Amino acid sequence: MEQVLAQLPQQVVNGLTLGSVYALLALGYSMVYGILKMLNFAHGDVFMVGAFVGWGVLHLLTPGGMLAAHPLVVLLAMALAAMVATSLLGGAIERFAYRPLRKSSRLAPLISALGVSIILENAAMLLTAGRAKAYQTELLIPQNWTVHAGGATISATRLAIIGVSLALMFALDFAVSRTMLGKAMRATSQDREAAEYMGIRTTGVIAATFLIGSALAGIAGVMIGLYYMQVDFVIGFSAGLKAFTAAVLGGIGNIRGAMAGGLVLGLAESFGVLFVAPVYKDAIVFAVLIATLILKPAGLLGEQAHEKV
Amino acid sequence: MRRQLTRTMKVTNVASALILTVLVTCVGMGVTFGKELPPVRIGAAGPFTGDLSKIGLDSLNAIQMAVDEANAEGGVNGRKVEVVVADDAADPSKAILVAEKLAMDKNVLGVVGPMNSSTVNAALPTYQRAGLVLISQSATNPSLTELGYRVMHRICPRDDAQGPAAARFIVEEVGAKNVYIIDDKGTYGQGLADQVAAALKKAGVKITRGQITPEDRDFSPILTKVKTVGPDLLYLALPNPAQAAALIKQAVGLGLTPKLMGGDGLKEKDQLIAGAGGAAEGMYVTAIGRDIKDVPQAQGFIKKFEGKYGAMSIFSGQSYEATKLLIAAMRKAAGDNPAALTREAVLEAVHSTRGYQGILGFPISFNAKGDVVGASIYVFKVQGNDFVQVEEYPAEVK
Repeated sequence: MEQVLAQLPQQVVNGLTLGSVYALLALGYSMVYGILKMLNFAHGDVFMVGAFVGWGVLHLLTPGGMLAAHPLVVLLAMALAAMVATSLLGGAIERFAYRPLRKSSRLAPLISALGVSIILENAAMLLTAGRAKAYQTELLIPQNWTVHAGGATISATRLAIIGVSLALMFALDFAVSRTMLGKAMRATSQDREAAEYMGIRTTGVIAATFLIGSALAGIAGVMIGLYYMQVDFVIGFSAGLKAFTAAVLGGIGNIRGAMAGGLVLGLAESFGVLFVAPVYKDAIVFAVLIATLILKPAGLLGEQAHEKV
Repeated sequence: MRRQLTRTMKVTNVASALILTVLVTCVGMGVTFGKELPPVRIGAAGPFTGDLSKIGLDSLNAIQMAVDEANAEGGVNGRKVEVVVADDAADPSKAILVAEKLAMDKNVLGVVGPMNSSTVNAALPTYQRAGLVLISQSATNPSLTELGYRVMHRICPRDDAQGPAAARFIVEEVGAKNVYIIDDKGTYGQGLADQVAAALKKAGVKITRGQITPEDRDFSPILTKVKTVGPDLLYLALPNPAQAAALIKQAVGLGLTPKLMGGDGLKEKDQLIAGAGGAAEGMYVTAIGRDIKDVPQAQGFIKKFEGKYGAMSIFSGQSYEATKLLIAAMRKAAGDNPAALTREAVLEAVHSTRGYQGILGFPISFNAKGDVVGASIYVFKVQGNDFVQVEEYPAEVK
C-alpha cells in the first residue's frame, strides 16, 4: 500500500500525458463520426505517418547527430511538416477512399477505411524495413529539465505535450462553437440535407473536418514520438484503438466527450498499472469502456446531442 | 447462351494462365528435366521482416554467403545448394506456416533457424513430423532441447547457463543487492528472467519482477514502479533491442539511472547503443558467443562479410557457422551417391557432429539432446560506440 501511494502522483502524471494525446486523436474520430456517421479506422495510421514525418524532419535537421538549428525551430518545423503532411493525407483519403462511397451502404466506407489502414501500415513497414526509428528527443528537450512536484517527476516533454494538447483542444472547441466554419460543421452534422438547403457546401465542410482531424493526428504523432523516443509502423494500430475507445467512452460525435474520454482512458491505464499489473493495462482500459457503456450507453457526455459535430 | 460462352472462355483463360504459371515456375526454379541432379535446399528460417528484421537479415546474408562459398567448392558432392527464405517475422504462428512450406519441399534437407525461442517452440512439431533437421543459431530457452524432438539442434548455450552466469556477474562484479527484472512474457524473455531470478535469489539478492508486452512503447507505467523500488540494477530480459533502447531512454526522462544489464538478444550495436542515444553507456549484456573479432579463424569471414554487407550484427557469425556445419554434414551423408541423400541421413550426420572447427573459436559437438557442448557465456559492457568484453564464464548447466 505504501508503494502504491508512493507511485500515485507519478502515475497520475503518466496518465494525464498519455490521456491528452489520446484525447487529441479521439477528436479526429469523433468529428468524422459526428458528421458522416462513419468510423475512420485509418485515423490511427494517419497519426503514425505524422510521427514518421516528424522523425524525417528531425533526421534531416540533425546531420551527424548535431542540431542544425535552434531546438524550438526544429520542433516547430517537425510539428508543421507533420500537420501539413497528415492533413493532405487525410484530405486525400476522404476524397479517394470515402467520398466515392458516400451514397452506398454504411458498411462500404468502413471496409474502405480498414483497407486504407492496412495500406498505410504496410507502406510504412516497407519504407522503414519494419525497423523502429529512434527519436532524438534528448537533442531537442534536455532530459534533465524536470519539475518535481508531490513525488512526481514531470519532464519538460510531458509539460509540453499536456500544454500543446490542451491549447489545441480549446482552440478546436472555440472554432466549432464560435466560427462560421464551426457553425457549418454543426449544421452538417445535425442534418446534411437541410444544411445544403441553407446554402452550406457540405462537401467542403466534410473535407475541412478531415483536414483538421488529420492535422491534429499529425501533431499528436510528433508528440508521441518525442514522448516514446521511438516510432515504428505499428504504433498507429494500438493508438488508434485507444483513441477510438476514448471517443466512444466520452460519447462518440461529441467533442468535449472525446477530450474527457481521452483523459479518463489515460488515467485508467495508469491506475490499471498501479493497482493490477502493467501487462493488463489494455484489458483494464477495455473493462472501463464496457462498464461505462453498461451504465451510460451513450458515453460520458453523450446526451448533449446539440453539441455534436 | 452468351453468359455460358463467357464462362467457358473464362475457364479456358484460367487454364492457360495456370499452365503458363507452371511453365514459368519450372524455368524459374531451374528444373532441367533429367539432365543433372536437383539442388539441395537449405531452409533459412528467421525474422526477416518486423521488429527483429535487422538481426534476421544480417543472419540471412551470412547464410547466403556460406551457401555461395559451398557452391564455389562444388556444392554437396555435385549437387548445387540453394537457400529457401522462410520469413517468420518472429511470430510463432507464422513460424508454423513457413515450417509447413519447408517440410513440403522435398529438396529441403536441412534448416538453419528459426532464431527465436518462441518460433522454434512453435515450429518444432512440424519439423519433427517432416524429419527435417534444424540448427538454431540463437534460440536459448532451455526447454527446447528437453522436449524429446530428434530434429532439434542449436549451436548456442542455453538460458539456464546464461541466467546463472549473469547472476554471478551481478553478484561478484557489480555487487548489486537489489535487482529489478523486466521481461516481455515471451518464451525467451520470461524464461531468461526466471533463470536470472532463481540464481540471484540463491545468492541472497533482493529481487522484484515486472512484465511488459512486446507491443508496449510507453514504459512510464512500469518505470514508475521500478522507481519506487529503487534498485541498484535493472535487468532487461527482452528479445528486442529497439524496445530496450526506448525503455532506457524513457527511464532517464523519469530521473531513473540504475546500472543496466540485459541478455544476449540486446547485443545489437545499431539499435541498442545508437538507438538509446548515449543512455546505454555502461550497460552490461551477456552474450552466447565470443565476439568473433577475437577469433583468428573468423578474420576471413568478417572481412568478406563486412566488405559486402557492412557491419556485422550479433548472430551473423553463428548463422554462418550453422550453415557451414549443416553443409559439412550433408557432404558427409551424401558420400558417393548424392542423388540418394535423405533428410534422415542429414539428421544423423548433423547429430553425430563432433569437434567441428569453424569460426566461433571452440570445437562444436552436440550432445544427445542436440545441445552444443563446450560453449561459453561472455559478458560485454557498452563503452562509447561498442561492446567490450569484460568477463567469460564456461556455459555449465547445473
